[in-house]
Amino acid sequence: MNRPVTIDTITERMKEFGTAGQVRKNRIRMKTVPEKIHDAITTSQAMLGFDRLITISTVDNGQTFELLYHLIGSDRIIMSLAIDLPRDNPVTPTVSDLLPSAGIYERQIHDLFGIVFSGNPNMKRIMLNEDWPPEEYPLRKDWKPNPDVFYGGIKGERS
Amino acid sequence: MPEVVVSIGPHHPALKEPVNFKVIADGEKIVRLELDLSYNHRGVEKAAEQRDFIRVLPLLERVCGICSHSHSTAFAKGIEEIMQVGIPPRAQYIRTIIAELERMHSHLLWLGVAAHLIGFNTLFMWTWRDREAVQDTLEEMSGNRVHYNMNEIGGVRCDLTPAQVNAALGRLPNLEERINKYVDMVNYEETMLIRFRGVGRLSKEEALRYGTVGPTARASGVDYDVRKDDPYLAYADAPWNVVTDTHGDVYGRTRVRVWELQESLGIVRFCLENLPEGPIRVPVPKNAPKGEILSRYEAPRGELAHFIRTNGTDKVERVDIRTPTLANWTSVAMCLVNQNIADIPVIVAAIDPCLSCTSRITLLDNRTKKAGVMSFDELIRRYRSRHPEEV
Repeated sequence: MNRPVTIDTITERMKEFGTAGQVRKNRIRMKTVPEKIHDAITTSQAMLGFDRLITISTVDNGQTFELLYHLIGSDRIIMSLAIDLPRDNPVTPTVSDLLPSAGIYERQIHDLFGIVFSGNPNMKRIMLNEDWPPEEYPLRKDWKPNPDVFYGGIKGERS
Repeated sequence: MPEVVVSIGPHHPALKEPVNFKVIADGEKIVRLELDLSYNHRGVEKAAEQRDFIRVLPLLERVCGICSHSHSTAFAKGIEEIMQVGIPPRAQYIRTIIAELERMHSHLLWLGVAAHLIGFNTLFMWTWRDREAVQDTLEEMSGNRVHYNMNEIGGVRCDLTPAQVNAALGRLPNLEERINKYVDMVNYEETMLIRFRGVGRLSKEEALRYGTVGPTARASGVDYDVRKDDPYLAYADAPWNVVTDTHGDVYGRTRVRVWELQESLGIVRFCLENLPEGPIRVPVPKNAPKGEILSRYEAPRGELAHFIRTNGTDKVERVDIRTPTLANWTSVAMCLVNQNIADIPVIVAAIDPCLSCTSRITLLDNRTKKAGVMSFDELIRRYRSRHPEEV
């Protein structure tokens, strides 16, 4: 823990989760799998001092949903843990029990991408309006507004 | 006593933006808080995927009306890094000057709002008057008071003339005197001491745990500041310090902000006095190579993160924006627990929430004088009906 966090210490401590790569100075990226993300974050917190979550970024690359957990610690090194989720069943365990700040990001991603974070107790709408139709996830690449669907607001009140 | 749900907002008594709190209270004490930001998602991220970089910059600037330069700089520096383009030093300095002036106007605005919320309207009038000096400087440099539109991929849009530099430098001594007055006032002004001290306390451990950013975190002794941790623009050259405080309450957040005003003024002065000669932009390729970057930027409210993925074209594959206010909501919900209902406005305001950033919302007041919410779908349809040639 007292040793400075470098690509070598991360590789040594976290080799069971995936291979770490140095993206640039102070940025490290590691690809892992959804089943291991919870353990990977537990390990990075306990062994490497990554105590803060910057954000969870989401990308829809057409085939899968990619989630990137950007963690930072007192060494100011950023480790991005990346996972892929299948489009037909995008479910991954929540990390909001480890990182309370993840809760609001998970809610946002659930709202906009329809990714389910199992175990998050508060998977309610946060970004979209409350009368937004269910099963419509606007930030997915294949989402197109359907003219027959009512997307909320006040009916017939527009010019 | 049974718990009562008090619904506050979306027309919030303290904020000029829509947010809804369901405050679960036991008598006057807050037990829990539920948050709803869902008043109008503008779809900026989706829209950014459809436009080329040149047209994305003005769009991202409109994510926020206060920290507009933050969003466009975060995006521009991310794309420049993917393209491996280094922008000229003069452009770096000009971006820094605008960024720090923006921080000053934002903090002065916040100080005024906080003063107004505790009924100290004299201070509100003073800070907003002094803020005009900053706004005038920004307007003189960029032509605009809010959306400066100074950034381009590869540099800045317009140069600073010696006359503009001198005019800006001429405004600084008076501004410095005023800022020093506020720094002094925080120490003795009775109204501020009574209403700010001990309110909305957040310990260092909690601030770290809840992912708090910016002045809110620094007031709890967390010394995270992207300008120091991951230096960009001219922050590595300028002499300045990360400001922290140990109070951890609204009082601490006020102290951090007034001290940051001093630091920002120092950075602006340094950059104006040491403005390097040379070009203000470099030509950049039309397309960016495939790549991804987490572009971090210390906005006035805290760390702003743009995650950008490019795909080899002149458009982004994805831009994921995490605004500082979103990161700070968790801590607000936590530090409101066990506080008085009457302190909600000032605790919420103490993170300087910026909701237009967070939910990327819009309110529509159209020609029929009816306010409403426009869905993304209708926005597209309306645009297409007016621009049939582009469909």
